[in-house]
Amino acid sequence: MSLKDKVAVVGLGMTYVARGEDAGLAVGDLAILAAEAALNEAGLGHKDLENFAWASGAGDPGGMAATMGVPEVMFAANLTSGPGGGAGALGLAASSIVGGFGDVCLSIITAQTAPKRPTGTSSVFRANPVAGGGAYGGPTGPQPEEAFVAPASISSQGATTAMIANRYLHEHGVPREHLGAVVVSQRANAGDALTLEEYLRSPLIVGPLSALDCTPDLEGGFAAAVITTTVERARDLAQPPIIITAAATGGTPSHATAFQMPSDTFGSSGHRAVAADLYAMAGMGPDDIDVALLYDDFSPMVLMQLEDYGFCGAGEAGAFVAGGNTSVRGGKIPVNTHGGNLSSAYVRGITHVFEAVQQLRGTATNQVDGAQFALVTGSPATIPLSAVILRKA
Amino acid sequence: MTTTEPAAKPFKNMPPPPPSFLGSLVDERTQPFWDAAKREQLVAPKCSNCGTFRMPPSRFCTNCLSMDLEYEPLPGTGTVFTFIIVRHPLNPRAADFVPFMPAAIDADGAPGMRFISNVVECEPEDVKIGMKVKVVWNHVSDTLTLPFWAPA
Repeated sequence: MSLKDKVAVVGLGMTYVARGEDAGLAVGDLAILAAEAALNEAGLGHKDLENFAWASGAGDPGGMAATMGVPEVMFAANLTSGPGGGAGALGLAASSIVGGFGDVCLSIITAQTAPKRPTGTSSVFRANPVAGGGAYGGPTGPQPEEAFVAPASISSQGATTAMIANRYLHEHGVPREHLGAVVVSQRANAGDALTLEEYLRSPLIVGPLSALDCTPDLEGGFAAAVITTTVERARDLAQPPIIITAAATGGTPSHATAFQMPSDTFGSSGHRAVAADLYAMAGMGPDDIDVALLYDDFSPMVLMQLEDYGFCGAGEAGAFVAGGNTSVRGGKIPVNTHGGNLSSAYVRGITHVFEAVQQLRGTATNQVDGAQFALVTGSPATIPLSAVILRKA
Repeated sequence: MTTTEPAAKPFKNMPPPPPSFLGSLVDERTQPFWDAAKREQLVAPKCSNCGTFRMPPSRFCTNCLSMDLEYEPLPGTGTVFTFIIVRHPLNPRAADFVPFMPAAIDADGAPGMRFISNVVECEPEDVKIGMKVKVVWNHVSDTLTLPFWAPA
């Protein structure tokens, strides 16, 4: 038994307020406004909601249900661990519906600028869960294990990713120009004409990464909502249903450890096991995917996911991207057709879910002709890692 | 050794000094490592039951879930598995220390685990994955001596 083809995405809603223009709205308020927009788009109301399933970092699902005046909550859960992304939330939502808890599910993702954070920062500065105590921090503060990791001063997500990326680049002889190809290709999809020369002039912050390899931080508050329900019920709603073909959530735990991963998976996104589970549930492979929305907190993670999801052989993704194969304009497998978070801001990959749904509805700004199947992946950081395959009904 | 301030930068291209609480961040599991470090002897945490090395020395062995731990003396040589060059002070505390080079080191005699430390005594441009390194010691305080790695 699996959730294959049993649940559909039926509504999307998004709210954003620029910093300083929030009119007193907290991020939890933005989440409710996003939920209302998604319900409206679906042709549903807030009293139809039964299940609440999201990735971590968007507050308490049950608490929000109570605030919204939902008559009865039939399921309320968060995926654990890091940003996870929208893909994981959809897998959890589908599980709750197929599990029979309730038929209509809300998933929320939020992001917000830290109130005191200076403007113009990027993902390279985000605190590192390894060195910052997240991985080993216990109820009473930092644990003795941390003394073996913290002195190295690998003090940000960017630095952690750079450790993995440098190994990947070394193993396969991939030049920095190929990281640049990811950035340039996604900027081009977003309509921004960044050249490779401009990319290469951007100074290294944490070598091999420059600021352009990292996502700009959001300058404000953001919330996104996705409504899912059974395929049967979806047929009567306002939008063409987009079906969740398969979902996977998990990964190999060693990838979350402090640089102790086995050598053969160290220079990877950690998604290899998730990809295998996902394709097995879907009964398909990378050749069946028409558009891929790959979580892009940092440019090297796009290359490594292209390989871990089987679009390229090991070490081949850089040349693949540089050769135009991921472009929305005629590429073999268009990737991050909306430009990704690298071209906009760090919003935990939820815009990837929105773009996938819009591609399959046929309403995307950069429409891939005849897109039938879309892959959406979540954060390649600490487990659980997540991914979904969506399809047109 | 006394409690007087150590030289701020005994080695070239060191990372910023660790937070002051680190010297007291020990328990019975980790004390032998820091005692050996004070004597400038590199040791590696290893499961007493099945022999699997584990870094950091967490409570349970990931291979057999034993809680028994011992420390194996190592020759103090190794290879750079991966590294980065921190050129921008992500933290204001690091401003006087960039560039520095965090690294994961495969230590000879301790397969299956890596030391997370820094390459020092070296220009950033000269650090390479696969280069041979040897341990050098930074006596930070009476209770804390940190291993770094310099070109062998």
